[in-house]
Amino acid sequence: MQVALNALVSSSVILLVGAGFALIFTTTRFFHFAHGAIFALGAYSLFLLQVWCGQPTPIALVLAVVLAAGFGCAVELAVYRPLRTKGASPLVLLLASLGLYVVLQNALAMTFGDETKSVRSSVVTEGLDVLGGYVTPVQVATICTSAVLVAVLAVFLKCTKMGKAVRAVADDAELAKISGIASDRVILAVFAIGSALAGVAGVLVAMDVDMIPTMGMTPLMLGVVAVVIGGVDSIPGLALAAVLVGAAQQAGAWWLGSQWQDAIVFAVLLVFLLVRPRGFLGGRLRKASV
Amino acid sequence: MTGALLEAEGLDKCFDGVKALADFSCAVQERKILGLIGPNGAGKTTLFNVLTGFIPSDGGKATFKGTNLLRLPPYRIARAGVARTFQNLRLIRRLSMLDNVLLAFQNQPGERLRNVFFRPRASTRQEAENRQAALALLEDVELAAKANDPAEALSYGQQKLLSLVCCLATGAELLLLDEPVAGIAPEMREKILSVIRSLPGKGKSVVVIEHDLDAVMQVCDRVIFMDAGAKVSEGTSQEVRNDPKVIEAYLD
Amino acid sequence: MEYLLHILILICIYVILSASLNLLAGYAGLLSIAHAAFYGVGAYVVAVMALNWHTPWWVNVVCAVVLSGLLGALVGVPSLRIRDDYFVIATFAFQVIAFSVLNNWVSLTGGPMGLPGIPHPVILGWQVSTHLEFLLLVGFFCALTLWVCHRIVRSPFGRVLKAVREDEVFAQAAGKNVAAHKMLVFVIGAGMAAVAGAMYAHYISFIDPTSFTVMESIFILSIVIIGGAGSLWGPVLGTVVLVTLPELLRFVGLPSSVAANVRQMLYGGLLVAFMMWRPQGFLGQYSFEKGSGRE
Repeated sequence: MQVALNALVSSSVILLVGAGFALIFTTTRFFHFAHGAIFALGAYSLFLLQVWCGQPTPIALVLAVVLAAGFGCAVELAVYRPLRTKGASPLVLLLASLGLYVVLQNALAMTFGDETKSVRSSVVTEGLDVLGGYVTPVQVATICTSAVLVAVLAVFLKCTKMGKAVRAVADDAELAKISGIASDRVILAVFAIGSALAGVAGVLVAMDVDMIPTMGMTPLMLGVVAVVIGGVDSIPGLALAAVLVGAAQQAGAWWLGSQWQDAIVFAVLLVFLLVRPRGFLGGRLRKASV
Repeated sequence: MTGALLEAEGLDKCFDGVKALADFSCAVQERKILGLIGPNGAGKTTLFNVLTGFIPSDGGKATFKGTNLLRLPPYRIARAGVARTFQNLRLIRRLSMLDNVLLAFQNQPGERLRNVFFRPRASTRQEAENRQAALALLEDVELAAKANDPAEALSYGQQKLLSLVCCLATGAELLLLDEPVAGIAPEMREKILSVIRSLPGKGKSVVVIEHDLDAVMQVCDRVIFMDAGAKVSEGTSQEVRNDPKVIEAYLD
Repeated sequence: MEYLLHILILICIYVILSASLNLLAGYAGLLSIAHAAFYGVGAYVVAVMALNWHTPWWVNVVCAVVLSGLLGALVGVPSLRIRDDYFVIATFAFQVIAFSVLNNWVSLTGGPMGLPGIPHPVILGWQVSTHLEFLLLVGFFCALTLWVCHRIVRSPFGRVLKAVREDEVFAQAAGKNVAAHKMLVFVIGAGMAAVAGAMYAHYISFIDPTSFTVMESIFILSIVIIGGAGSLWGPVLGTVVLVTLPELLRFVGLPSSVAANVRQMLYGGLLVAFMMWRPQGFLGQYSFEKGSGRE
């Protein structure tokens, strides 16, 4: 039962990070690795605001998410958009993103130090007993927030004008532009939303298990795994995959020991890439044909 | 259909419910030029892709000199003696013209690593021979002056000619040319057509996809008219041109 | 003086690493962030064999190269079927799995504690122990690697690699067995990286998994890109720049607590900058855009 609960918490984080990543990927068609750094930025913004600036928790939480969204937009405006305008290939954008991740992670380390920082003392951490398993209020909040936010995102994409614009750009950026959609603005919005989601995830994880500058890499990759397995274009698919990945991670940890949990998830990813590269998405993984 | 160089029988290919090839059969005779015409989407390029192994067929047979083509990967088909050009003009633009042609030569010892290190002299010798041969090919078509320029420096027409030269350089007996003269100036067009016309004399057989009916008339011995993946008419260019089914298809 | 020799030795090791990755990424167009895994396998095989079986030094290196080569072939398999940017993710996965194995298979690798006390190599009775002697040894392998790369790149085989990089379909239509070429490049690149690992293990005498992480792979990739992908001297220039620059900063009085961070920010920042303004690096031929007719 504990494993299941842990898996649920893990899946929730993965879902948040993955949803943001997928949103950005479908509209811009490249791997925004720096997303992991935005996640960490969200966590450290909370620390900054709460511990260094003494803001009360609710305000700090909101501002931290806003800061994360802001950084995401900054990255888009400063790096990705100029590159896109020059017609850079997805590979070039991926490499730039890798570089950005390294820079941002180290900027965090230099500003806040390499060791673990905590915001936990300001939040109540008494656990709840659920069917024999133990879960803290923060973890419950994580699960609920994730579910709610992603559901809201799904509704947003389906029903609002902006959401439809996002889907149009995701489907076919050229066509969208011709139809009069300002795809640059849509992309900026997508970065804001996606980064905000990452920021939320970062904040929740920070409150659960503290923070360290390297914290972004693993959730990012798990999110990417979920996106690849579950489908870039489908939120239900992503949710399903996030559950699968979280479960695999925790089950692996329980069965083989927590030190192997990442390796197990990545082995699953490799299997998917090789055996079912379509995942639940279309044939985009395959090489371009004649 | 006996003694033909290439025989295709009953080829089928379906994409998302649309039939690109519908029970298509044809034969290519030795030292002949076969034209393949038809409206856009008729399945001509799909036929080439199936024959050269880039797309799997859904059914049917295709043999080249007795070898079953349908089970082979593209590189083996090329090595077996069937070479092709591409509708969207594939070349290695960053490399020089000479390098592009050199790439097309078969059986280069220098392409095997063990030869690069353990039989270096054989590799260099063959490479030198290949260079001569490549330059000769380029000279034949009056492109040798720019041999060391990157392929991207050439005009579109020159690039098309270059891709034809590469096709020749493979030494293949059967050349499948996909729109070799589409969209190029008349002078270059004539040049390419005269090269194609000279191919049977060099022992080659050719299948040409073209929209330019004049070009087809000038160059081809026989013509097949395709529509919606099926063969609608076959014969000499005159016969096909006057075939009522073809006229109807064009009016459709 | 010792310090200078140390830097030169590091440069030689990283030239081997970047030249081998350049073969993969710069010439064949196979971008991979798993290179540190091959580096690590090389180091660990040599260390484990030297510590447990006391086998001759060159036997260890050969085993390291072979094992790493096999691993390279394994990593190469997905490249045959998966598009480049997804393939990078696959190499990331390999890298993480490799690191996990090195970090967690404690009985073999010593886990996070690493393997200390790796003996010095003994070549024909001569023990390599001083910095100068190491420089000669590593320098030899560095020169050898560069020579091998040079031969490969200038040969028809190298030409096929470039064709594979620019337009696989053209290469196939020209009768080239693209899959075999890709696998071969992976095996060679991995084998060379293993040699670098072997050198590193013997030189530092102590290895632990933290030297062989994804960040290290990204660092090696940065060297290749900044120096110039697809050029013979690019890796050398890139290595010199990225290895000496952080050291120079130390002389300027940078506190050692942030030295590691600054070093990483440096190559991360340069990577971004080069991608934005000069993706072909200083000397490179290839800027990670597909050459012709990819779509």
